[in-house]
Amino acid sequence: MSLLAAMRKLWHSVAPRIHSDVEEEFRSTLDAYQEDLIRQGLPEEEAHRKARIDLGRPATQNETYRDAIGLRLFDELGGDIRYGLRALCRNPGFAAVAVLSLALGIAATTAMFSLIYAVLLHPFPYAGADRIMNPVMIDDRYPDEFSYFDLSKAQLDEVRIAAPVDSVLGFNGSHMEITGGGLPEDIYCAYLTENAGTFFGVRALLGRSIEPSDAENGGRSVAVLNYRFWQRHFGGDRHVIGQTLEMNHTPYTIVGVMPRSFAFNDIAGVGDVYLPFSLMRPVANGPSIAYLPWIKLRPHVSLAAANAALEPIVLEGKKQYPESSPDHRHLALQPIIVPYQQDLGRTLTLLLAGVVLLLIIGCANCSILMLARGRTRQHELAIRTAIGASRWRIVRQLLVEALVISCTGTVLGVAASYWLARLPLLLSPDSFPAESVIRINASILAFSVALALLCGILFGLAPALRLSRNDPARALPGRQAGVAAAPARHRWSVLITAQVALTLLLMATAGTAIRGFLRLTQMPLGYDPANVMQIGISLHVQNPAEWSRIQSREARAAYIEQIRQKIASVPRVSTVAVGIGATPPDADVQSSFIIDGTGDGEQPQARAVLVDQRYFAALRIPVLQGRIWNADENSRGDFIAVVNRAFAKRYLSSSHAVGRQLRIPGLTPHNRYQAVSAQSTTWRQIIGVVGDARNNGVDQLVVPAIYIPYTALIPAYAQFLVRTEGDPLTCLHSIRAAIASVASDQQISNSASAFNGTFTLSEAIERDAQYSRQRLFSILFGVFSAMALALALVGIFSVVAYSVAQRTTEFGVRLALGAPRAHVLWIAARIALVSAAAGIVIGLAFDSFLGAVLAHWMQNAFAAGSLFAAAALLAVSALIACLLPARQAVAVPPAEALRCE
Amino acid sequence: MKPVELPQGTLEMLILKAVSLGPLHGYGILLRIQQISGERLEILQGSFYTAIYRLKRRGWINGEWGESENNRRARFYSLTVAGKRELKTETAKWIDMAAVVASILDKKADEI
Repeated sequence: MSLLAAMRKLWHSVAPRIHSDVEEEFRSTLDAYQEDLIRQGLPEEEAHRKARIDLGRPATQNETYRDAIGLRLFDELGGDIRYGLRALCRNPGFAAVAVLSLALGIAATTAMFSLIYAVLLHPFPYAGADRIMNPVMIDDRYPDEFSYFDLSKAQLDEVRIAAPVDSVLGFNGSHMEITGGGLPEDIYCAYLTENAGTFFGVRALLGRSIEPSDAENGGRSVAVLNYRFWQRHFGGDRHVIGQTLEMNHTPYTIVGVMPRSFAFNDIAGVGDVYLPFSLMRPVANGPSIAYLPWIKLRPHVSLAAANAALEPIVLEGKKQYPESSPDHRHLALQPIIVPYQQDLGRTLTLLLAGVVLLLIIGCANCSILMLARGRTRQHELAIRTAIGASRWRIVRQLLVEALVISCTGTVLGVAASYWLARLPLLLSPDSFPAESVIRINASILAFSVALALLCGILFGLAPALRLSRNDPARALPGRQAGVAAAPARHRWSVLITAQVALTLLLMATAGTAIRGFLRLTQMPLGYDPANVMQIGISLHVQNPAEWSRIQSREARAAYIEQIRQKIASVPRVSTVAVGIGATPPDADVQSSFIIDGTGDGEQPQARAVLVDQRYFAALRIPVLQGRIWNADENSRGDFIAVVNRAFAKRYLSSSHAVGRQLRIPGLTPHNRYQAVSAQSTTWRQIIGVVGDARNNGVDQLVVPAIYIPYTALIPAYAQFLVRTEGDPLTCLHSIRAAIASVASDQQISNSASAFNGTFTLSEAIERDAQYSRQRLFSILFGVFSAMALALALVGIFSVVAYSVAQRTTEFGVRLALGAPRAHVLWIAARIALVSAAAGIVIGLAFDSFLGAVLAHWMQNAFAAGSLFAAAALLAVSALIACLLPARQAVAVPPAEALRCE
Repeated sequence: MKPVELPQGTLEMLILKAVSLGPLHGYGILLRIQQISGERLEILQGSFYTAIYRLKRRGWINGEWGESENNRRARFYSLTVAGKRELKTETAKWIDMAAVVASILDKKADEI
């Protein structure tokens, strides 16, 4: 709106007097002057003539006026633009190719910029997001690893009043289930301290957010909904405010819905529902309530100062856990963007480099086209020079035409980028913050306008300077005779070489990415993920009555086994196994263990994986030696273990693995929810060795693992691995019903997160960080290099086509004089072919040099094979792009070519 | 007497002066300047109108439509407050400069 007002103001200041106004004033002057002349004695006829000679014409006066108020440049530029547009319309083919080649590059660059803007520069909707810190604990011995921690109420209050702190948000989360409907539904609730509304400064989409009055009377039963949950569960109903949502048999009044961009938070779990913290109740026998903190610093407070001020408060509470050795720990406030920057910065930099290359190739293409077309325009430009246009005027004219092309390209490109920018999010959804919403905004528009101007000047300047250096005396005497016109030095041959070299670089990168991805997909996993689904359940620790029923280890194991049997009875379900954090490709945490016959000094590491005996059958992991434990051994939990081949290979001489003893001292409860078997840390006999199944990510080597009956240590959750005939998701509803038949409000986890979620194992692979990254790279770079190849080929094609069209006469004469057709073909395609070949050679040299750098950035070996394949593909397509238009040269009948003269 | 050619930039000052004596239309300004100068100034129509438009754009003079002496619609220009101030400073500057230049040119060899 303000832009419109500003433009109107500008218009009024430059156009206070319209044409007729100036003209009328001029006429009155003219008349007065004429009368004066008559009074001085001139005859009327003569006076009329003299007045017009002295004063000029009204149109001239108008120009004087516009010149006087500084509009001349404006008028001339307007003329240039009109002329430029007309010139483009006369040459629709040229215009379309030029605009499209630029639009491709600009679309890709703008898309990547909006992605970077949304993901790295401005990912959070919170007020003062750059001052919001996620406090982490860093262990000096492992400085790269950090852990989140919680604070007590007293600590939180101390932090709140600390000098560098503006405000503090305390939060925590809990799984609940929606009750009162059909099947119970799992839901993740985030409890927020009641200052959440002002801390975030995000206006609710409907209703309100959590506010201080919600803390009254021990917490009001109100709920604010997450946008996605609102869409999923309420179908985006706008009348949801005031309705009741029943969770864990307690009614909550819905008071607000947050906007789509608000998805607090990725680290602790995105809440489906936000509740006042005062409603959080301590669990029976559980630890006291803990606050996870987010700290918003005052402006201009340095991180070091804030760390120093807050560390004593935070460490104070940690002294009660002696094992956490506070001497080694210190506090680090971490801007909330950091976790994403680490993971994404490199990916996006590489992609940005790719799109910039594409843009440069697009610009080069436009330059080539303008230069090639310029030869046909020499006549026109020579005439303009001859009748007095300065060189600057011609350069300006050509630059304006370039800008017209680049601006048109930008408009198309920005429109296309809107969709393009979503592509990476679709391909690799888990690597991006849930809150980043891609939209075209002022910064992105400013970026693309700047880009358009830059490109226009970049590709327009070289042709403009070249074409304006034109001697009218040589150009004017008419069409130059074909043979006499020795081909001028072709600037575009350099451009073609550069373009081809850059294209090869992109193609080689794409080849590397695609090869890496293929290698990843063909790698043996060691287990069979097809038609297997993980279903996570959370036990009800919040409800004292239910919790007391399943608190003992035996009762809990029996409960889990009962559910397992019910799931197994569902039609089309073939095997159901229990695992606790055991789902590949990432299975559970490192633990140290002790093998018989080795000193206590060594602390070898392996993954301790808690599963039941059916796990190996469900995942089709082969038994190599010995046996798997039976049902009785499974319910006892102690004295036995199975190891994988990697374990046997590293720690035992492979042949004698079975029968050896090991023990895992760390197999003790870490919190009050875990139930442990009688002798979980005593010696266990290795009764079997199984094949290696990926347990450290899809692309990493299998690490040693010890499989233990899950009943040795049962937390307050468990996962079922369900193998079905056909797509497992189609069985999900019957499985949910089967679970509910055991306990009517036992929900399954809705979340798709790797921890205790519900998803198929194929999804788990696709979500693997390395897998999705490689897939993103191979698809995007594949697209980039295809675009680059298309651009380069269009460039080569049009150069040859133009030069053939111009030299028709020459070719006709050559053919008439008896030149062999092959020779004429060679002449027509020669320069383009040589430049393309030079480009390929330079590209090859450059790529081998760059290979090491690229390999490091893509975390992938740079393969010489894919480089040569790319070079060969490029060479063949370049040859075709040369020969297709060159064929025109020999197709001309000599007689007709000569008649053109 | 020979007609005088104006140095660059002085035409605007003269127009301001002419208008300061009372509202005038464009042609009237031209005539008045010539009249005051005793017909010794030759003013080119082209540069004259450029100067008028420029003054108007700077807000030193203001134009309004009115009836001329021979019953024709014409635009009458008058001085604005900013124009008055401008005329005053420019006049002072010019007189200063002219005095300095004249005093230098008047000096005889033995006086230096």
